[in-house]
Amino acid sequence: MSITLDQVTKLYGGVPVVNDVSLDIGDGELFVLLGPSGSGKSTLLRAVAGLTGVDHGSIALHGRDVTRVAARKRGVGLVFQNYALFRHMTVADNIEFALRVRHMRARARRARRQELLRLVSLEGMDERLPAQLSGGQQQRVAVARALAHKPEVLLLDEPFGALDAKIREELRRTIRAVQRELGITTVLVTHDQEEAFTMADRIGIMNLGRLLEVGAPHELYSRPATRFVATFLGAANLFLARRTADGIRMGAATVAGGEPPGSAREHEVVAVVRPEEVAVAASATGLGERFIACGVVDEMVFSGALERLRVRLTDGAAAPLLATMDAAATPYVEATRTQHEQRAFELHRGQEVALGVRRVHVLPTPLSSFTVCAASAPAAEALAREPLLAALAARMKTRIAIRTEPQLGAAQAAPADPAPFVGATVVSCEPHAAQRAEWLLRHGAGEVLVLPANAAVPQRVLIQWLDPAVREATLAVSASVLRHLPAEAVQGAEMPTGPPSGEVAPELARRLAEAQAQMLMVGVGDIRRFAERFAPLLDGGRWPVLIVHRAAP
Amino acid sequence: MSFRQPSVLPGFGLTFGFTSFFLGAMVLLPLAALVLAAGSMHWSEFLAVVLSRRALGSYQLSFGASALAAAINALFGFMLAWTLTRYEFPGRKLIDALVDLPFALPTAVSGIALATVFARHGWIGRYLEPLGIKVAYTSLGVTLALTLISMPFAVRTLQPALLEVQRDLEDAAETLGANRFYAFRRIILPTVLPALLTGFTLAFARAVGEYGSVIFIAGNLPMQTEITPLLIVIHLEQFDYRGAAALGVVMLLMSFAVLLTINLLQAWSRRRQLRAAR
Repeated sequence: MSITLDQVTKLYGGVPVVNDVSLDIGDGELFVLLGPSGSGKSTLLRAVAGLTGVDHGSIALHGRDVTRVAARKRGVGLVFQNYALFRHMTVADNIEFALRVRHMRARARRARRQELLRLVSLEGMDERLPAQLSGGQQQRVAVARALAHKPEVLLLDEPFGALDAKIREELRRTIRAVQRELGITTVLVTHDQEEAFTMADRIGIMNLGRLLEVGAPHELYSRPATRFVATFLGAANLFLARRTADGIRMGAATVAGGEPPGSAREHEVVAVVRPEEVAVAASATGLGERFIACGVVDEMVFSGALERLRVRLTDGAAAPLLATMDAAATPYVEATRTQHEQRAFELHRGQEVALGVRRVHVLPTPLSSFTVCAASAPAAEALAREPLLAALAARMKTRIAIRTEPQLGAAQAAPADPAPFVGATVVSCEPHAAQRAEWLLRHGAGEVLVLPANAAVPQRVLIQWLDPAVREATLAVSASVLRHLPAEAVQGAEMPTGPPSGEVAPELARRLAEAQAQMLMVGVGDIRRFAERFAPLLDGGRWPVLIVHRAAP
Repeated sequence: MSFRQPSVLPGFGLTFGFTSFFLGAMVLLPLAALVLAAGSMHWSEFLAVVLSRRALGSYQLSFGASALAAAINALFGFMLAWTLTRYEFPGRKLIDALVDLPFALPTAVSGIALATVFARHGWIGRYLEPLGIKVAYTSLGVTLALTLISMPFAVRTLQPALLEVQRDLEDAAETLGANRFYAFRRIILPTVLPALLTGFTLAFARAVGEYGSVIFIAGNLPMQTEITPLLIVIHLEQFDYRGAAALGVVMLLMSFAVLLTINLLQAWSRRRQLRAAR
């Protein structure tokens, strides 16, 4: 492996900007770090270069641990967005800078310089000053300069950011060609997904300091694992669907899901449908089994090869299953059509159409949506407006449903609504919170979030399971939440489990009180005497607690 | 339209007129009067005044101490400007404002303040006295006063230049294998050298012309701590206007020579930089 990052974390003022990143980059690979601005990708690159220290974890280049090694001894070449050429030196002196530092003889320096200038197609520009070159040429000089000392790793920090489209494409091709010719391991940082697709052998996607997913471009595009990646890499419609024994039920249709259903239990999942996988027809019969809902064309944009559509769903029966970021807003579906499809069926704004789905990808995320549950409708609505819950739902691009259960928490009563509990059920931290949580767990809720009023966005998340059988589920749910929070995860120590020593709740409460803005993820397998055991933690508690329950098989 | 204005300011004719009038009235005319006043002297009379031992001693002190003060400011002013532009720390704004104080203070006040601190029984002077270091009434005190009053010139000239040196340049130098000293010498220093020279020049010019602060700490002993401006005032007090003018002309010529040299040096270094730094 050329570059190995192991649990790298970088804090700025206590907040992780690079959060627990582990990554292996192979020899000669062109790896693209992709993410929105502020996702920590540049900081990670600077950490690899040695210009920024790390707070935890280690960095190895070609098997040599360089975590504590100064940048100038790491043997990397770095290219900056603004070129960072030495303006008082000629092109020749810029390129030879690293060679002079190493006291290389003039003749050898000149030979190396000419070789590099040929590589970036700038022969004969030796005596120019940077100010006499165009932006694209300056960046070529910067690339040549970064390669002069034959670094083992080439790092490029948004190298095309300051260039216009045409030059950008040309330079991309040059850099790709240089990289292939030298076979040098390269990391490129960008926020431009098209750039990532055209350049990368593999892409790593970062958000909020975390490396969410790593994979080949087509893999990440067709089978993303997280909501963020699904929507950041190209456009995507996110639907809340049901996984049933027959497949994925979305709106009116049941579509064969990618993977076979893991458990017999019907549950809610997040389905990704790319705009190009949405079929548009005049009527439902034209779509057959793939039909999911009807809608009205709201917006049509012509963009060269493709036509982009925004279709407002009108089908009342199907709409609730299809969620957008804001539950209150009208659900839209985005679709793109090729020229060929446009000719076969011409559309105009305001036209009624039927929508179908050609291909569905189900995200493996265990947290699909939130349902707030309270004894009265006003209480439930107030809970739905809680800032932490609203923030989580917005970041997860999911909805908050409202459910009123007048008998919530009453030991003998059954739920008033026969529908199963789907997604994470949210209850408030009032007295009897533990009792209510137990009631929900007994009636089939897999995840219960107990939420105090005005809870802060957590900075630390404690993860704890009380039964080895729920370890995996707890970690999966925790990872799903942590992807959307700039928080540090702390895995709990081994805990006494089982009913005899049931005093875990006070211990957890004590640990939560140790620092500000903590959140607890707790996995439980056995829910006997749950209310009694967890009352000290939950009743009137001050911390958000997400209870993950999986019944023993 | 043939009369398109290239900017908001009026055309070249008018602006050049104002420029020459302003320079003429404010700078050249008084200087011409000075030269004329000295010109009414006889040649031998003139030489007797400007080459007297006392006058020669005062030139040496004035220009020597000023050059030393400007050099000190170039070095420490650089550090100060570096600290102020590169680091974010509590009280940075306050220190930044303090730099300007010598600008605003009447120079006599600075002189009295220095004398209070460095006199034999002053706050610091009393601890230096047993070590055999005398500040007040020595050339050391003169240099100190000149350093104080010319400090803002060096700092304020360097600050914008240092802001221009991007962090990325140092980062680039470091990834290319340069250590900090090498990066400083080859990247930072060449970039700020013109500003450093300007800062030195301004500080030097300010120090040469200084009078108010020095007389309080210098003790004004002829041949030892008497600066040329003071000698001029002494001639004036004896109603020897022509002698004063003669010394003034010498100062004028010497200052002009020094400033011209530095300016040429600066132009040369800029050209050399543009050609390429070896």
